[in-house]
Amino acid sequence: MKRISLPRPSRRAFGLWSLALGLGLATAPAFAQQVPKAGGTLIYLEQQPHTVLYPPAGGFYPNGGVLNQITDKLTWQNPETLEIQPWIAASWEVNAEATEYTFHLRPGVTFSDGTPLDAAAVAANFDAFGQGRKDKSFAVSEVVNNYDRSEVIDPLTVRFHFKAPSPGFLQGTSVIGSGLVSLSTLDRNFAELGDARLIIGSGPFVVENEVPGTELDLKAREDYNWGPEGHPHQGRALLDGIKYIVVSEDSVRIGALLSRQADFVRQIQAYDESKLRDQGYVLYAPPTRGVNNSISIRPDNPLVADLRVRQALQHATNREEIVKTLFSDNYPVATSVIASTAQGYVNLADKLKFDPVLADKLLTEAGWVLNARGLREKDGQVLEFTTYESLPQPQNKATLQLVAQQWAKVGVKLNVQGGDAGSRVTDSLDPLKTAVLPSMVGRADPDVIKSQYYPTNRNALLQTGGVSDKVESFRDDRLNGLLEAIAAETDAARRIELVGDVQNYLLDQAYTVPIFEEPQVFGGAPYVKDVAFEAVGRPSFYGTWLDR
Amino acid sequence: MSSFSEPVIAPRIGTGRGLRRLLHPVTPGLWLSVAILIVVILWAVAPGLWTGYNPVEGQSGNQLQSPSAAHWLGTDELGRDQLARLIHGARYSLSGALTAVGVGLLVGTLIGLVAGATGGRTDTVIMRLVDVLLAIPSLLLALSFIIILGFGHIQAAIAVGITSIAAFARLARSEVVSVRRREYVEAAFGSGGTFLGVVWRHVLPNSLNSVLAYAAVQFGWAILQISTLGFLGYGAPPPTPEWGLMIAEGRNYMTTSWWLTIFPGLFVIVVVLAANRVGRALRRN
Repeated sequence: MKRISLPRPSRRAFGLWSLALGLGLATAPAFAQQVPKAGGTLIYLEQQPHTVLYPPAGGFYPNGGVLNQITDKLTWQNPETLEIQPWIAASWEVNAEATEYTFHLRPGVTFSDGTPLDAAAVAANFDAFGQGRKDKSFAVSEVVNNYDRSEVIDPLTVRFHFKAPSPGFLQGTSVIGSGLVSLSTLDRNFAELGDARLIIGSGPFVVENEVPGTELDLKAREDYNWGPEGHPHQGRALLDGIKYIVVSEDSVRIGALLSRQADFVRQIQAYDESKLRDQGYVLYAPPTRGVNNSISIRPDNPLVADLRVRQALQHATNREEIVKTLFSDNYPVATSVIASTAQGYVNLADKLKFDPVLADKLLTEAGWVLNARGLREKDGQVLEFTTYESLPQPQNKATLQLVAQQWAKVGVKLNVQGGDAGSRVTDSLDPLKTAVLPSMVGRADPDVIKSQYYPTNRNALLQTGGVSDKVESFRDDRLNGLLEAIAAETDAARRIELVGDVQNYLLDQAYTVPIFEEPQVFGGAPYVKDVAFEAVGRPSFYGTWLDR
Repeated sequence: MSSFSEPVIAPRIGTGRGLRRLLHPVTPGLWLSVAILIVVILWAVAPGLWTGYNPVEGQSGNQLQSPSAAHWLGTDELGRDQLARLIHGARYSLSGALTAVGVGLLVGTLIGLVAGATGGRTDTVIMRLVDVLLAIPSLLLALSFIIILGFGHIQAAIAVGITSIAAFARLARSEVVSVRRREYVEAAFGSGGTFLGVVWRHVLPNSLNSVLAYAAVQFGWAILQISTLGFLGYGAPPPTPEWGLMIAEGRNYMTTSWWLTIFPGLFVIVVVLAANRVGRALRRN
């Protein structure tokens, strides 16, 4: 049509016009990027259904992906600077010993059921998170350490008292596990909270509908006006809603994204990355800044009670080969217990050298000699372990098989089970059944290392005093002492130093075999703009918009 | 496991005339099926002769290669040759199917024999129990037994075998009941034979024909069931090159590496069809 309106185009004029048209077309999307469009529903494909959405259980990525949209937190950790900035709390004071935190709340914030988000509500939330509640089956939140009690000073001021210094608490108020929920949600039992409709938060989206295990619909909250101060977008969310659909098959998620039946998907495997990138899709690989994707060793099992055996496993593992074979540039090789983007990281690559000769020597010294079948044997017992695949971790089955292949070269047998969730859960608490187990956890605070290894937290090494009743005697008080010190040290520099000590200690004791730094890899259609991620890689769709 | 795949199948192949009689009339399709089974049996017995690649240990840098002259069916995510894995995997499918059919045949026939030969109340009680077993979907039953027996290749085979006991028992009983009434059996009793002696010498051999034919048909079904359990992660643990497990492991790579699922799937289909075809021919004769 445009060409017809041109007055008798000369060849040169035609050339100029087409150039101008071409430029105009090329720059149009660039202009559009500046002006976000409101409206539309984002279709988000999840790999797994969410479990219980009690905020402290939000660490599980499918849970975090939902909770991050429907709950607000006291503070906001800027994902770029990792600095703690105001959100529901407009300001705060911390005493010198880090035993008293006073938060001044933003006025006018309400939960989606209309009740006010005031000091009483915040106090009730942190009482539940910090003390746990037996009658509701609420466990103590792993991000709140040494919590004593709350004190409501006035409707917009709340103070928290701690039994001992709790320097990690301020960052703890910004994480997914500290999402604020209404009193009615806290009245429910833990088991009931698997129903997302019962989670009443103050976030930019509210749950509209749910088909448990398969679909979840969120819609934007019209009166939302309390986004984090530092966030580029303010006011109501730009999207009208988000539709979560659980699609467990990797290939189906990718296919749906490529055929534009979905806009955003979680968990893109390394082998699919290039295919998406080639077709103009956007890959997001936010780091999880926590404990690396590792294999935890449980010394309560007599087979790995000997330090030399654990060290042998450490040196028999070829991390480079694993990353090169199965992963991509988004997955850096581990150089310590925690990721290089984590706070307090020290490079301990020297302790993680692949050295099968040393591994062989250590095993022989420990009395494990090769038998006729090429396996290590001592007193008639074979050095053989069983472990379970961890479904949330990327390509975990293939990773474990490759580890098994590497360990087999020094005569150690590793059996990898898929099996059902039930057997995995019971067996993973029994050090005799799972002497080694894959594990990882993300969180942008030095406390993360305590979360992973402290007996009353995740207890990755299965010490006595944790949730497992199968542990006979293993307990490392030196390690626990260091972990407690991290949780209680108020001096930031000293805390970072302690984190370094723990990394050294864990690797000197060879309690864990770190493999790679785990990112969360998401894929988005080219028209999905401004997806943000919190500090450990959970998406936030508050400022997201669709350019179509 | 190969040790017991030989004595059962090998004699039939060895006696060409007997085989031809058993499979009569021989159509091209039937010949093809027999050829496929023979190849697969040879793979199971001596996989090393057919491939030089290691089925469980991959080569780094060789992963996810499409089918080529070096790797006819491509390589998997750990750089293992897919054809080598399929060839080595034949052993697990065949030995598993033999174990499963063996368990079903032995236990099922025994139950059917006891029920049919004794009759009366014992028969009623046993056959109602068998009916209960038949009422439960076989996959569900197999899964339940796996949870009790523990995961593993042989356990999966036994669980599959247990689920087929009921069908074998029913068939065996009906045969036993009809043979039991024959004149020569009555005559054997009449001429002073003991109960056990007559059952062993006359009833059992004469009622076995259709049970054995049924076993042949069950063979293909057992391969499929074992692959299903492997697919679900209840069979042989990785890195075992079990066909069902290979399909399951390959399906994540569908969008980029189709060969990881397609070939193991095709192998299962072809072998099960061949086994069914031969089984049906055996049953007819």
